[in-house]
Amino acid sequence: MLRLRAVFEKSGRAKYISHLDLNRCMLRVFRRSKLPVWYTEGFNPHPYYSFALALSLGFESSCEIMDFNINDDEMTLEEIRDRLNAVMPEGMRIISVAEQVKKITAIAKAEYSFSLVSEDVTGVYDAVKGILDESEILIEKKTKKGVKTVDIRPDLELVSCEITENSVDMAIRLPAGTQTNFNPTLFMEALKNYCNIPFEARKIRRTGILCENNEKFS
Amino acid sequence: MNLKEKIEKHLLEVQKPSRYIGGEVGSVIKDKSKVDVRFAFCFPDTYDIGMSHIGMKILYSLTNERENYWCERCFAPGTDFEEIMRKNDIPLYALESLDPIKEFDFIGFTMQYELSYTTVLNMLDLAGIPIFAKDRTDELTQIVVAGGPCVCNPEPLADFFDIFILGEGEEVNLELMDLYLDMKRQGASRLDFLRRAARIEGIYVPQFYEFSYKSDGTIEKMTVRENAPATVKKRIIKDFDKVYYPENFVVPFTEIVHDRVSVEVLRGCIRGCRFCQAGFIYRPFREKKPDTIYNETKCLCENTGYDEVSLASLSTSDHSEIDGMLTKLIDYTAGERINLSLPSLRVDNFSESLLEKIKKVRKSGLTFAAEGGTQRLRDVINKNVSEEEIMNTCRIAFQGGYSSVKLYFMMGLPTETDDDIIGIAELAQRILDLFYSIEDRPKGRSPQISVSCATFVPKPFTPFQFEPQDTREEIERKQKLLLDSVKSKKIRVSYHDPDVSQLEAVLAKGDRRLCSVIYSAWKKGCKFDSWSEHFKFGTWLEAFEECGVDPAFYANRRLAFDEILPWDHLDYLVSKEFFIRENKTAHKSVTTPNCRLRCSGCGVNKAVGRECFCYD
Ligand code: SF4
Repeated sequence: MLRLRAVFEKSGRAKYISHLDLNRCMLRVFRRSKLPVWYTEGFNPHPYYSFALALSLGFESSCEIMDFNINDDEMTLEEIRDRLNAVMPEGMRIISVAEQVKKITAIAKAEYSFSLVSEDVTGVYDAVKGILDESEILIEKKTKKGVKTVDIRPDLELVSCEITENSVDMAIRLPAGTQTNFNPTLFMEALKNYCNIPFEARKIRRTGILCENNEKFS
Repeated sequence: MNLKEKIEKHLLEVQKPSRYIGGEVGSVIKDKSKVDVRFAFCFPDTYDIGMSHIGMKILYSLTNERENYWCERCFAPGTDFEEIMRKNDIPLYALESLDPIKEFDFIGFTMQYELSYTTVLNMLDLAGIPIFAKDRTDELTQIVVAGGPCVCNPEPLADFFDIFILGEGEEVNLELMDLYLDMKRQGASRLDFLRRAARIEGIYVPQFYEFSYKSDGTIEKMTVRENAPATVKKRIIKDFDKVYYPENFVVPFTEIVHDRVSVEVLRGCIRGCRFCQAGFIYRPFREKKPDTIYNETKCLCENTGYDEVSLASLSTSDHSEIDGMLTKLIDYTAGERINLSLPSLRVDNFSESLLEKIKKVRKSGLTFAAEGGTQRLRDVINKNVSEEEIMNTCRIAFQGGYSSVKLYFMMGLPTETDDDIIGIAELAQRILDLFYSIEDRPKGRSPQISVSCATFVPKPFTPFQFEPQDTREEIERKQKLLLDSVKSKKIRVSYHDPDVSQLEAVLAKGDRRLCSVIYSAWKKGCKFDSWSEHFKFGTWLEAFEECGVDPAFYANRRLAFDEILPWDHLDYLVSKEFFIRENKTAHKSVTTPNCRLRCSGCGVNKAVGRECFCYD
């Protein structure tokens, strides 16, 4: 049995596929591909596959991760990738298939890029600089137990921040994985409260899933 | 900003956005510069419901097989998205190209139920297409057409459509598009096209027909203009086994009502239940060979990736080779870990090995459409199911581990008395008693008998088309009587809203004077009438009042046999004499045997020029 990990892209119209729907969608991808995927045992056998991280509705991604097993040791990884790509919906594409190296628990952060579109780009740009100079960035996070105030400043890493004609294009890293997950929209909300300048976040894209030492998770 | 950007700007503000952006596996994208005719297939309900509809899947794929024709899908947006569309000038668009449907050559609606009529108007309005046919351009474009079961009496919709397509669409749709392309190239006008189209069998152009009325409100006469045929005959597919069936479905991302492969196994029905419109308008009975069914199932499962299949028909157990067909299907689906959902089947003529196999795959509960509470009433409606059969099936089911049964009935049927209503409760009680009398019944589980009561709706092209519907007061009295007659908490009764059923009857049997009522109801905010949360009966009553139309005239009046009916000029191959004969037989509580036992001379055989079955 091959224990595999696929990295896939989700963009264009596919960004409107919710996480729940993605599950069903992949089940049908596997069935259409006729790959000998490994089924769970028990009363209601179904193909086993699991996604490393959920992606918010409306986000694009070039680095989604899905684990699955193939009941065939002879197949090449390229063949598996190509057979899946042949039956993927528009906007979804398997970038690579490789054997699983690390445990899912090794995931520590995720990197996101996005554009903040505004009439007042310099204002937004200054606000970004300003908020990152603060010692704490408090946000309200909804949890199962109610609303909690969290400081995201210690875990937030700025990767890049550029100003264009009508937007501020940035990339940031936030904690992700089985323990803590911060959605980049939390940062945007904090920024909105901080500066009071209207802006709209566009083209939100997950660009990397990383381990603690910023190494790419694989 | 182009339309796609406009849509995407707001898409995350609505529920289940994937319904509004297309891109599903199996959807067909073409280069529009190479396409000659564009057809928007519109379903007047939301995506979740419309996408489940098998007729749309067939005609979508069939049209798209033609390289230069492009058929796209279009559904009614949910109210949240509609609001955004109206506020931001987003016209109703098709899901493949995301182009506004007002730019299309054909805008085709499928009319599956009467309560979707206001939604059609709402969709035309959202599309920016004139709602009344007479207000549309003289040019040859934007032809608004409709098909589906409701167009067997399309008169209440006559003012809104250019063309109605009667019967099965697999051939005639393409003929219509061919004619269109031909005439478009010649530079013909809309009216030229409609005149020529009216000569195609199955094509009804309502504006060429005019009605006058007597002082008592009934029809005086119908006049035909423009040399259109005096009666329009529905289309049928002669060789059903060879009829086109899609090799692929559009596979939605979001869950829809029937989210599975569906294979049509037969068309028509041999039973002739006297209230059932489907049982008559789809005649003659035709079936596919088991091999065809098997091949279509396999092909669709492989191409869509669905792991569930259902069989579509009015009565699957009437397939002449049901045993062989199911055996083959169960072997395939079990091997591929595909779930085969079986409808309620008459178990009497199954082989033992098949019964065993069915037991293993059946998941759904046990349902029974008894329709009438007493044998007398079941004879009146020609529902040929005996109490013995019901009891036998329940016994087998209880012994097989079932503890719940769902029974369907109709209330307000012709000749119905209070005894028939009490009979419903008594039948449910006897099934409950049966459960307790069985030694090897499922232990530790409490039985549950659900009784679901619909209100009888008289429909065109049935022997009961002449019958009045019970008034709301009478239905409510009977509902109360039923509740009072039920003695056990293990019997649960539910019923339909009688107002909904009355509106259904009016729209089903109505004439052209209803067009203004439908328009007015929509103007006042009615849409999605089949959804209880949207249904506004008070508003409908206002619309009737305003237009001077009395709903009781259509729903609660007995029609005379010699009256001109709004649908008399439409020929669904079953003769009016037959319906009259059947109506009289019903009032004598006499049944009519099913078509496989004996032909009752409904007229279909004469119309198609051959017998439906060979009788030895
Ligand atoms: S012609 Fe005879 S057999 Fe055929 S549908 Fe009519 S009644 Fe049935």
